[in-house]
Amino acid sequence: MTGVGLETRSRFAAILLSIVVAVVLGGLVVLSTGANPISVYQEIVRGALLGRGLDETLSRSVPLIGMGLAAAIAFRAGLINLGGDGQMLVGGLAAALVALYVPAPGAVRAVLALMAAICAGGLYAWIAAVLQLGLAIPFLITSLLLSYIARGVTSYLVRYPLRDPSTGMPETYRVASAARLPNSIFDLPISVGMLIMAAVAVAVIVNDKHGVNGFEWRMTGLNPRFAGYSGTNLQRQTQRVAFLSGALAGLVGALLILGQQYRFTDGALLAPGYTWSGLMAAVLAMASPIATVVTAAFFAALQVGGFSMERALGLPAVLTWVLQALIILCLAARPVFFKRR
Amino acid sequence: MTLLQMKGISKRFGSLVANDGIDLSVNSGEIHALMGENGAGKSTLMNILYGLLKPDAGEIRIDGKAMDFASPLGAIAAGVGMVHQTFRQFPDLTVWENLVFQNEPGQGPFVSAAAARDVVRQLGEKHGLEIDPDSRVRDLAVGIRQRLEILKALSRQAKVLILDEPTAVLTPQERDSLFTAMRHLASKGMALILVTHKIPEVIAVTDEITVMRDGRVSGTLTTRETSEAEIIRAMVGRNVPPTVATKVTSTAQPMLSVRNLSVRRGGVAVVDDVSFDVRPGEIVGIAGVSGNGQPQLISAVAGLEASTGEVVIAGRNVSGLSIADRRAVGISYVPEDRHLTGTAPAASIAENIAFGTHRTAAVARYGFLRKQAIRTQAHKLIEQFKVKAASEQVPIGSLSGGNMQKVVIAREIEHGSPLIVIEEPTRGVDVGAIEFIHKTLIAERDKGRAILVVSSDLTELLALSDRILVMFEGRIDASLSGKDMNEATIGRWMMGGAAGA
Repeated sequence: MTGVGLETRSRFAAILLSIVVAVVLGGLVVLSTGANPISVYQEIVRGALLGRGLDETLSRSVPLIGMGLAAAIAFRAGLINLGGDGQMLVGGLAAALVALYVPAPGAVRAVLALMAAICAGGLYAWIAAVLQLGLAIPFLITSLLLSYIARGVTSYLVRYPLRDPSTGMPETYRVASAARLPNSIFDLPISVGMLIMAAVAVAVIVNDKHGVNGFEWRMTGLNPRFAGYSGTNLQRQTQRVAFLSGALAGLVGALLILGQQYRFTDGALLAPGYTWSGLMAAVLAMASPIATVVTAAFFAALQVGGFSMERALGLPAVLTWVLQALIILCLAARPVFFKRR
Repeated sequence: MTLLQMKGISKRFGSLVANDGIDLSVNSGEIHALMGENGAGKSTLMNILYGLLKPDAGEIRIDGKAMDFASPLGAIAAGVGMVHQTFRQFPDLTVWENLVFQNEPGQGPFVSAAAARDVVRQLGEKHGLEIDPDSRVRDLAVGIRQRLEILKALSRQAKVLILDEPTAVLTPQERDSLFTAMRHLASKGMALILVTHKIPEVIAVTDEITVMRDGRVSGTLTTRETSEAEIIRAMVGRNVPPTVATKVTSTAQPMLSVRNLSVRRGGVAVVDDVSFDVRPGEIVGIAGVSGNGQPQLISAVAGLEASTGEVVIAGRNVSGLSIADRRAVGISYVPEDRHLTGTAPAASIAENIAFGTHRTAAVARYGFLRKQAIRTQAHKLIEQFKVKAASEQVPIGSLSGGNMQKVVIAREIEHGSPLIVIEEPTRGVDVGAIEFIHKTLIAERDKGRAILVVSSDLTELLALSDRILVMFEGRIDASLSGKDMNEATIGRWMMGGAAGA
């Protein structure tokens, strides 16, 4: 048995244990409100996996996996990208603008919109990388602060210059049907967004496991001094990784606009908290892309199940967020459980 | 009279038995050496004595009283002091501030500086360890900073003093004055424990020797009655003849030429106008007390640090080139700190070997890693360099210091570069691995490689080098070979040359 195998296995056991403990603690919370925890959990599972619930879970998985991988790519290379919100916003807005105003046939417009979103999100994260490299402002901080700027600027734009005056909401016009991403292919419950995200996930996983670049990023994350000593151009790499992480967040923004919301509404992209759930998934997965995908899908199911449980039992869906947080807390507590001196 | 007695000390970390029924007793007035290879369990034992770790079994008695330390504070109160390898000091504070920290004389919330200065002066006079109480710690030489560590322990009424590899950073002269101080402290009735790898020191200064191997005591010797060979046998379980290279003089065209190289840090030239050559088929050693610019010089040669002047490798001026390009031109580099710079400890041995050549055809094709080839190569090097590892897939950080160093050296030699730059080839490495590494370097020299070695261990430099350059305050003032290459001469140049030259 190799050390690597042991580590992976104990990690897996730890995650399972954390979930079990979180479920028990969450059950106690439910119990304290006088409800029956068993029926709550039953309703969460049913709502997440059965009938329309499964479609819901799959479509919620797309942005969650996207934001999880955006965080994981950066983590892997030693960068902490807290700016997913901002990158998603500029990506979403870029996609909306191209889809609304570029005079091209519908499908071409959709492709251009996706590309614009990737570039916008990537460049927005790249600004934070350049600030770190040039002025030594930590990426973690600038990426986060840039989100507030993005929020303010996009909010202004959709309230004034870009506003659709026919609705009472601060939002842009609706994207024409031709430029939208189809929600179903060959009448299957598979959207174009799911396909794109699946392709992205495969690319990220393969690059991480087998790619020369993935290897270099991972080694940099483990020890940047060693990477520099071995000939890695750390400055260039930081910029590239930041760009790719931001590009993925931008793509998520575009997929949401072109596939689900069809217009950029102030606050709508951020309301479900994809960035933070994605970050949590990446942290839980210790930045392993494949584990991030699994964890993000699990969180999506949990959240969808929560909404269904709320409708069925009248208990607030926030409970599933509590569960999500409890799992992370249990896992974070793990080293202390087992540490002996 | 037995001052310190440790009996049946055992400590496990998971499945690893670090200490297995260790007995150690030290008399008052005695200097006791604690020896052993890396991973033999010396640090664990000393950390238990200093209250940093709790033993699973066994007892500690000081002056016959059973002790149970919950933390170092308990150990300090019981009279145990420790001089750590890396000093626990505030460099920006003065000597007296460092000395009385956590033990301040004075009234209520106010510290009496005058009383503190007196403590420094009195202790210094009493033990021959004088230091100016008002100098800033960061301005002091390493030897003096170590003196402060000892004073700190003494000011807390230490009866048992642990010195962890105290000579690693000292010049021969500083080392001698440390030994004098140790003798003096022993004569006042203290018990001293000297943790070290270095056999000559043990012979020179200690009374009794305890040798550890694999978590057990493998020998208790009396210094007067033993020999180097016997100590080595206890440490490694076999006889190791000292490897001293036959000295050669190379006249080939230089493989590395450094001309007028300077490295500036905040207006100070830490490397100051240095020029030298290293030729194929020779080992050139760089000696010097740490802090005289050696690491900066090497970083500048390897391309990790910005510098002025010229670096020419294999006839090509590489001054403006990146690390990657310099490596391509023909430099291999084994850095000083294998944990910090030389490896990614959490990654596997195979990954650590492949990294650095991961963009070459041997390791990757079409942007994808050739995992099988990487494993095969790693496996081959593990065999060839006799690395003790369960497989090439285990994290390199799980290896012992010596085995980890072997992997780093194997990787750099495997690159096949004509020039090898190596810092501290055997620091923190056990005797068996030292011998292997030295033989490997000499063999590579004989194959015609140019090798530049920096080491703080003079014995090592003398054994390996054909020529020794001495650095002092960023300059290289002496190039010694033949008869001039001896400890006394090098020691004088390490102090600046003026004193005895």
